[in-house]
Amino acid sequence: MGRLGWLRTVLLCLGIVGLVLLLGGGAGSLHAQAPTVVRYWLWLDDPTEPMFDQLVKEFNANHPGIKVEYQLVPLSEYHDKLVTALAAGSGPDAGRFKDWWLGEFVKLTALEPLANSIAKWVGRGDVIENLWNTGKITTAGPVYMMPHQFITFYLYYRKDWFTQAGLKPPATFDDFLAAATKLTDSAKNQYGFGLRGGAGGQDQWLAFMVAGGARMVDAQGKVVINSPEAVKVNQWYIDLFRTHKVAPLSAPTDAYAQVLGAFQAGTTAMMAHHVGSSVLVTQKLGVANVGVLPIPAADPAKPATMATMSGNVVFAASKQKEAAFSFISWLSETTPMDKWSGSRQGQLPVLKSVARLPRYTENTFFKVSLDGANYAIAWPPLPGVGYVSAQAWQANMQRALLGQISSKDMLDEIAKALQR
Amino acid sequence: MRSPRRSSAKASRGNRRGRTWVLPLFLLSPALALLLGIVAYPIARAIWLSFHRLEILRPDLTQYVALDNYRGLLQDPVIRIALQNSVVWVVGVVVFQCLGGLVGALILNRRFPGRAMVRGLALIPWATPSVLVALMWTWMLDGNYGLVNDLLVKAGILSRFQPWLAQPWSALPAVMLADVWQGIPFFAVMLLAALQAIPEDLFEAARIDGASPWRVFRHITLPLLLPTILITTMLRMIWTANYMDLIMIMTGGGPGYSSLTIPLHAYYMAYKRLDFGYGATIAIVQVAILAGAIVAYLRQLRSHEVMVQ
Repeated sequence: MGRLGWLRTVLLCLGIVGLVLLLGGGAGSLHAQAPTVVRYWLWLDDPTEPMFDQLVKEFNANHPGIKVEYQLVPLSEYHDKLVTALAAGSGPDAGRFKDWWLGEFVKLTALEPLANSIAKWVGRGDVIENLWNTGKITTAGPVYMMPHQFITFYLYYRKDWFTQAGLKPPATFDDFLAAATKLTDSAKNQYGFGLRGGAGGQDQWLAFMVAGGARMVDAQGKVVINSPEAVKVNQWYIDLFRTHKVAPLSAPTDAYAQVLGAFQAGTTAMMAHHVGSSVLVTQKLGVANVGVLPIPAADPAKPATMATMSGNVVFAASKQKEAAFSFISWLSETTPMDKWSGSRQGQLPVLKSVARLPRYTENTFFKVSLDGANYAIAWPPLPGVGYVSAQAWQANMQRALLGQISSKDMLDEIAKALQR
Repeated sequence: MRSPRRSSAKASRGNRRGRTWVLPLFLLSPALALLLGIVAYPIARAIWLSFHRLEILRPDLTQYVALDNYRGLLQDPVIRIALQNSVVWVVGVVVFQCLGGLVGALILNRRFPGRAMVRGLALIPWATPSVLVALMWTWMLDGNYGLVNDLLVKAGILSRFQPWLAQPWSALPAVMLADVWQGIPFFAVMLLAALQAIPEDLFEAARIDGASPWRVFRHITLPLLLPTILITTMLRMIWTANYMDLIMIMTGGGPGYSSLTIPLHAYYMAYKRLDFGYGATIAIVQVAILAGAIVAYLRQLRSHEVMVQ
């Protein structure tokens, strides 16, 4: 190859490099316009529900600078997966979150405080005021979780059975026990109440505990769930199964599917749950045969029930915090919230503007639930709540229901686990 | 004096030995690296974890706690129950799977119409995902409207429905029943393969000598199946000891701790209480117990020279 040939080759190479750089630069400027990707995790009670996918498409279409990519994780594995993903540095930017886990994740500094972002958010005045507390560790502290969808527990009862037996819907613990006893006929495999001792039963239990006057923590935040008053209420709850035998024999391990199935199949006369099951219950039994009541109280002058919040958080490790907040705050705006609450996921909206819509005020199940929000008590934001709700409550409740430990022993174990 | 030729031959043999050692090692190195990565590292990490208190999302706060986690084992009342349950679970499940598998293999080895189809269908429980098996049995054993209760009541065996999964005495046996059902085909297939390898002349000779079917089974079939039975049993013991899917879905270890086994307890401690150090400690103890049992079992096999056969 002659000198000219070499020169030609070098020039050709330089030309190619220049072209690549030019195109690369062009691509680079295209990249600069690429939307910020927000990875969002959630669970859905009914994962086949298309509502959330439609919401994400709507958000992405209206926010060209942000692209939300979501991942569905079942609630039963959500906590484990989240912890391990965050530990491995591959966690999401934002996610749906339960108040159960707040204390634990805040202690681990895994959640981003949202106070500054919320101060600038237009919708903040529309949120039912006391619900902001469900996203905080202390009343004066910052909000870590945007309130989004919540539930309060109430009591379903078989109207037709109550009418036939000449019973009035129960308002007190005494009325409740009397009705449950009258409607129990174990020879016919029929029981007064679907007690849930298996997975997830802690919410139902807490609803009765607080309605009986027991509290998880006192005004100073000290754990008092093993106080003498709480032991008494817990004993009353245990006796529904052990002494009065108004719950099915399978109660110690019954989870949601079994409790719902027993109520739908006409095995039980009453079931404590929330608005999320109202469609399934009425579809099966007919609207006329199902009534709904606030959880009966030991003292009717002091009603109480359990509330639990499913909110949204931004994780401290996220590099897209601003975009992540845009998405979770958008989910808490009027239209997306109405779409969510009105879907099969069917939980209570945290916005006053949505709660005032006729579809909620005119629906008995939503109405009783929303009334319950005025006196509902949530799980305290203690680091041990995650463990109590995932395992400690279930194991100890079952042992108490089987007579292996006393009411006091059970509550001591729960108090110990809460304070971990 | 050694001849130079002999010493140079020895040296070249030595070199050759060196070379023959290097090449296989080189060829094995990817597999070795993989083994180190996916077996040795997790084991070393679990041992390390068992001496630490890990704050999973705050590794900077992780503390060395010496033997605290091991001391915790002695104070944990649940571990004793879990250990007892684990022994019942492993022994019960493996024995019944083995017996069921043996009967299944003997049946499938006989000639009958549609045998090929039955052999295929017999594998269904083994091929069904554990989650489905667990859900299916949970509903079949349901205390309010389960199929098992319905059949037993209609047959007059029970007077009323039993909450099989909610009673301390029946929860673990109920889950064991599901696992036995799922595991029988594995034993059956392994034993069927071994049965088919037994030369037909042995059976023929025994029959000509007038041996009864029981004597044929006792003196020909069983001794020749024994090596397969023992090895399969050992494998199955290891798998069953670590298997917790069914228990987790069917009872969650309950009611109370009635069906809680060691791996499930370790899982709850690690992932639900976020106490990874203690969870790892429980796992290490399980490995030690299992390794001890397996070594004893292998020694027993060798002493009976079953392996040689």
